[in-house]
Amino acid sequence: MFDAIVVGSGMSGGWVAKELTEKGLKTLVLERGHHVEHGADYKDSLAPWQLENFGMVPEEEADEHYAVQKKCYAFSTANQDFWVKDSEHPYTTAEGKPFMWIRGYHLGGRSLMWGRQSYRLSPMDFESNAKDGHGSDWPIRYEDMAPWYDHVEEFAGISGSKEGLAQLPDGHFLPPMELTGTEIDFKKKIEAAWPTRKLIIGRAAHLTQAQPVHEELGRISCQYRSLCERGCSFGSYFSSLSSTLPAAERTGNMTVITNAIVHSVIYDPKTGKATGVRVIDAKTKQGRTYEAKVVFLNASAIGTAQILLNSKSEAMPNGLANRSDAVGRYLVDHISGVGAGGIYPGFETHYHHGRRPNGFYIPRYRNVTEKTDEFVRGFGFQGGILRETWKRGTAKPGVGAEYKASLRRPGPWRVGLGGFGEMLPRPENRVTLHPSRVDQWGIPLVHIDAELGPNDRKMVDRMRADAREMLERAGVQDIHVGEHYGGLGLGIHEAGTAHMGKDPTKSVLNKYNQSHDVSNLFITDGAAMASTGCQNPSLTYMAMSARGAHYAAEFLKEGRI
Amino acid sequence: MFSSDELPGLDRRSLLRNAIMLVGGGLAATPGGAIAKAVTKPKKKPARFFSPAQMVVLATVTDIIIPRTDTPGAKDAGVPQNFDALMRNWASAQHQAQFNALVDELGGLGLAKLPAGQRIEAVRKFDADKLAVFDETYVKFKELVLTLYYLSEAGATKELRYELIPGKWEPWTEMAPDARAWAV
Repeated sequence: MFDAIVVGSGMSGGWVAKELTEKGLKTLVLERGHHVEHGADYKDSLAPWQLENFGMVPEEEADEHYAVQKKCYAFSTANQDFWVKDSEHPYTTAEGKPFMWIRGYHLGGRSLMWGRQSYRLSPMDFESNAKDGHGSDWPIRYEDMAPWYDHVEEFAGISGSKEGLAQLPDGHFLPPMELTGTEIDFKKKIEAAWPTRKLIIGRAAHLTQAQPVHEELGRISCQYRSLCERGCSFGSYFSSLSSTLPAAERTGNMTVITNAIVHSVIYDPKTGKATGVRVIDAKTKQGRTYEAKVVFLNASAIGTAQILLNSKSEAMPNGLANRSDAVGRYLVDHISGVGAGGIYPGFETHYHHGRRPNGFYIPRYRNVTEKTDEFVRGFGFQGGILRETWKRGTAKPGVGAEYKASLRRPGPWRVGLGGFGEMLPRPENRVTLHPSRVDQWGIPLVHIDAELGPNDRKMVDRMRADAREMLERAGVQDIHVGEHYGGLGLGIHEAGTAHMGKDPTKSVLNKYNQSHDVSNLFITDGAAMASTGCQNPSLTYMAMSARGAHYAAEFLKEGRI
Repeated sequence: MFSSDELPGLDRRSLLRNAIMLVGGGLAATPGGAIAKAVTKPKKKPARFFSPAQMVVLATVTDIIIPRTDTPGAKDAGVPQNFDALMRNWASAQHQAQFNALVDELGGLGLAKLPAGQRIEAVRKFDADKLAVFDETYVKFKELVLTLYYLSEAGATKELRYELIPGKWEPWTEMAPDARAWAV
């Protein structure tokens, strides 16, 4: 019997494990995938020419086994073990509604390959559902989260600049990384043309200046290799493996079991509580159970919904903690993959040195400082301006010494902008269990039925138009505006499938990330989100996990659960 | 698949030696000889995708695209061998067929019989014609050739610059007029 079970070892599960074990709770962390050893299992010491096939995963292997995962920019032979084989972990989608579910089933989960952009949600994000009526009103406000953002920022190590923006609260930052001269020029032009738009350096989970709290876990400052998605042996970016799990480990209170797929949560109708979980061993396919006083689901938004829906019982025929019928519903991703690029002319006497694992950020301005009637909510842009590499030579006619000499020089400066927009939470966008198909462990497949709605599509159009307009205003040449990829999932920010709300008949979790229906069940991954803002969500999952773990430990101590 | 393994009775090693003589000393100068390794250490997969004659074409063309100058060229950097390895270890059946046909098409230029001065013009015209119509197979071919060259140790560190561990980020450095680009 453990004090707590944490299902999942990724971004949020790692934080729950750290917080609970540091409060003295004997905690079992269950990871459905394989073990990954921090450092030893990373290929971050390899030069490009040492990578298998120069980083390119064999085409037929990628098609057969990684049909979805291969669409992620970070997928390569340098980290192939960090992606699920879609062939072994199938799911289904509704006709005409592609959903690219990017997954990492291994210790540390997607915290190993994440993009590391780290932004707070703002007061207006926690109020948006109440104001415009979409989704459930959040049972918490920014003030509830602020101390927990402070808490996780200090430990994770977030670099960034203080800007005093209402829509993007400042935090506890390490020194910011620097913009290039061209990015500063672009910033000036944008801010002159639109005085309330801002361009700032990205806020990213990198140790620009490692502090004692980081160094005591063996983490050092960023070396600007930008090989992050291979895993970083220096521990210079935040991951479960570099940070939270080692912190939990040193308490002596954590047990980690890998290859342990959680089939369902066990519910005792007599007490109204969860008593533990049923696990299927990924290798032997044998079933077993673990018991604990409190259960945290941190299996990622869709995975957590799958477990809840599969935890059916006589007392709860719609799945566990699903009196509201909201489990699996309100699935959102960020509207992403929309942007523009071009040549930023001039400045050819300057270059950059090192590889900055970060870019710039243009925080949301639509419906903040610029009222926009065509849609509610808004979007931000991530981007960068760097000099082009030899890759420009591909489509450039030419052969021989002259051609070679031309590619020896850095190319012109190229600007890229990519939008991240808030998708409205809608009940019809949902995850269910497939009525007949099961995976090799006998667990019903996830079925995803979700698409952009009218508000979301208008936002796509506006993102494209705004990106073009800002580039044009800055004198960018050869502007190319991308099309949206036509599906969902590639924002890799899926959320909302067991959302927090005030009304137990309409939402799944209360203001403590505690199930309305099952008092010792907590969910602090993306599933808990009642809305997502347009900011990258991981920092919020971290803060919510630390906060949820705090309350769970308090309630346990007080004998309330 | 078109492979020298399917040509019984041929001694690949001697054929390759001939090939090296035909196209100059570049291959022989490759340290450690990727070719020798591939020939002497056969794995389950065929040791070569392209035939010896095709390898000659591939070596000739890639070295015309990126010749040896004051820095190593494509052959010095092992591009032909690594391209062949990609065909065996990376390419789909479709890409294999397309590149096989492309190399044969390049072979049709008859480069070996042309005087050195005319070879580059023939490849220049081929390159321009293919890119003008955005021939996808050729565009991918050129992308792979550039990748194999600029991400090779010679390409990345001698022609361009590469640092595994830069250690710092300098966002705005004065650049000498002859400064080389970062490979990555």
